[in-house]
Amino acid sequence: MKRTLAIFTAVTKNWLRSRSGLFFSIMFPVLLLLLFGAIFGGGGGTSTYSLFVQNLDRTADGAPTDLSNAFIEALNSTETFNIRDVPADANATSYAREALGPLGGNIRILIIPEDFQDDLLNGTMKVRVSVSYSTLLTAYPYFATQLNETQRIAVEQGIAQLGQYNATYPQRTTSLTLILDSADQSAAIVKGIVINIANAFNYGLIGAKNVINFSEEQPSTAKQFRFIDYYLPGVIAAFIMTNGIIGVTTNTTEFKRRGITKRLSITPLTKIEWILGNVLSQTLLNLMLTAIIVVVGWLIFKVQAIPDPVSIAIIFLGSVMFSGIGMLLSGLVKDVEAASAIGNAIAFPMMFLSGTYWPIEFMPSYLQSIAKVLPLTYFSDGLRYAMIYKYSEGIVTNTAIISALAAVFIIVGALVTRWKEK
Amino acid sequence: MTKTIVEVSSLVKQYGSLRAVDDITFELYEGEVFAFLGPNGAGKTTTVEILECIRPLTSGSARVFGYDVTQSNDVKEIKKRIGVLPQDFSALDKLTVKENIDLIGGMYEKKLDTNEVVKLLDLEDKAKERFENLSGGLKQRVGVAAALVNDPQLVFLDEPTTGLDPKARREVWSVIENLKTLGKTVFLTTHYMEEAQVLADRIAVINKGKIAVIGSPQDLVSQYGGRKVLVVRKGGKELARTLQNRYGSTFEHYGDVIVKVDDVKEMWQIMSTLTDMKMDKEIEIQSPTIEDVFLKVVGGRITEEGELK
Repeated sequence: MKRTLAIFTAVTKNWLRSRSGLFFSIMFPVLLLLLFGAIFGGGGGTSTYSLFVQNLDRTADGAPTDLSNAFIEALNSTETFNIRDVPADANATSYAREALGPLGGNIRILIIPEDFQDDLLNGTMKVRVSVSYSTLLTAYPYFATQLNETQRIAVEQGIAQLGQYNATYPQRTTSLTLILDSADQSAAIVKGIVINIANAFNYGLIGAKNVINFSEEQPSTAKQFRFIDYYLPGVIAAFIMTNGIIGVTTNTTEFKRRGITKRLSITPLTKIEWILGNVLSQTLLNLMLTAIIVVVGWLIFKVQAIPDPVSIAIIFLGSVMFSGIGMLLSGLVKDVEAASAIGNAIAFPMMFLSGTYWPIEFMPSYLQSIAKVLPLTYFSDGLRYAMIYKYSEGIVTNTAIISALAAVFIIVGALVTRWKEK
Repeated sequence: MTKTIVEVSSLVKQYGSLRAVDDITFELYEGEVFAFLGPNGAGKTTTVEILECIRPLTSGSARVFGYDVTQSNDVKEIKKRIGVLPQDFSALDKLTVKENIDLIGGMYEKKLDTNEVVKLLDLEDKAKERFENLSGGLKQRVGVAAALVNDPQLVFLDEPTTGLDPKARREVWSVIENLKTLGKTVFLTTHYMEEAQVLADRIAVINKGKIAVIGSPQDLVSQYGGRKVLVVRKGGKELARTLQNRYGSTFEHYGDVIVKVDDVKEMWQIMSTLTDMKMDKEIEIQSPTIEDVFLKVVGGRITEEGELK
């Protein structure tokens, strides 16, 4: 224990005094948190999408028609778009490209066609007639028995006339044109909002009321969590993983390259004491990282996902697991360059495939299968369950998996760590 | 009676088809400085690392303080009693001199006071300096301090001055001489002839895994070093012919005249001849060195980098 403590103290001091080590282990994760927090965490107003709108539906004096204008107002009222007008006589795509300038940006254009208002009103009238005729046909057999002969004849004549009117009334529709870059990541969002507004117009003009309504609720706890709260455990998990897989691998390989491990192996220090000293040091580093990330998150983004003792236990186990992977890798590679390369090659795909930054469901099914065998998936899920959802079954299952993997990696790491020359 | 500290018998270390250590036998006695002298790849470090219990042997036997290096219980006892300055010693860069010595000290149940070791190695001024800021010579001194922190009876110094400038090398020599006065037994490996000659009580010349000769520097020089030589600086070809005719074993090299001398009597005769000739050139008498021994028994010289030429 005394020797483990001596290694722990020395390795920790060595790390705390290393500027580059501190930057990549602590500052870089904090900077990333600030960056992602600024993008997704709220504060500084909501994000908007630029949308060029060319309104071709104009009156004889060139003014926009009432309904086309109302449609643009409805788009504006969502506070999602930064709407920029395109003159009616311009080529919309060329105009938008020129307006975006040489630095570019995604082209999003909505073209409101000529006769939008007329077609909309006529199309609406046709729908109203059609719905009325269909309703009368359906309802008439139920109340016909209550009518006398004269009334029945009059109603049937009326229905027949309405049917004739419905059959002869011209079917008019209007079509909005939406031009979107295929590479535009926000295209689906823009399209969804425009379609929603068009549907609201469709229903509003025929006087339909919503039958299905929505109410939104939080899945857990009394606290109101925001995106940044859900993101926080992911950041913590991801950087505990990189500290273990990249940090431990490169550090211990560097110790090996410089003969420091060999020098220590000549003393009574055992291999397992050496590994435990390093793992404990890494765990302390990760607890410090967690504390700093949470404090920064709380001060700047008012995060509410504060780690409790269960979360801290999961962080401890995760640190042991990833330090074990680091020790394992450093036992397999000979030089620092190879350690860094292999650490990066494993850590970065794992970071993006394990659902730390976005839900696994966003990924294709074959990548989801890969995610299920990655240790970070269980670590970030466990941490999220503990910090956010307080979902006991999820906490227990993921913690059990992390514990088992931690034991396996530490044992295999100890087996491949060479304590004697060949 | 001198106590034997290390006993090596028919030691072999084989790497595939390469026999790095080839059937060597030697002993180390209490209180002596014993040097393994040989070029790179001779098997010096391999032998030392077998004795330090960090490299397994292929065959033969090696005992340190009577303990067998192949038995795990014995290994624990050996590790408690030895101090090591490995080849290319390094330490944790961001730790201070004292912290690095403390780290090694922390591995032992019994250790000396770190301040005492720092003082012993004359590192007091540098005790709070980070290891990364030290010169090569000071780093080696820290390595020696770390090797002494457990108050070992036997100290292994593996190539302690390789890569150091002459001044730093002399500083390390002074440290090694001090170890002897402290009563430590020192096992030194080196490829520097002068280092072995100045520091060692006994030298084993090792090449291609085999010990060529072993003995005290004086014995080796007298047995294998050859004759003394008298050098007349810029004596010229005419003088070389004259001395060759009278005494034999004379040749001219870049204008210098070199005469191999059998004994003191012949030396005085040559000096007398030179006086009669009213010779006013610079005269130098050179005794054979370990380098001559090495040349004789190995058939080559070792470069500054440790390669055999």
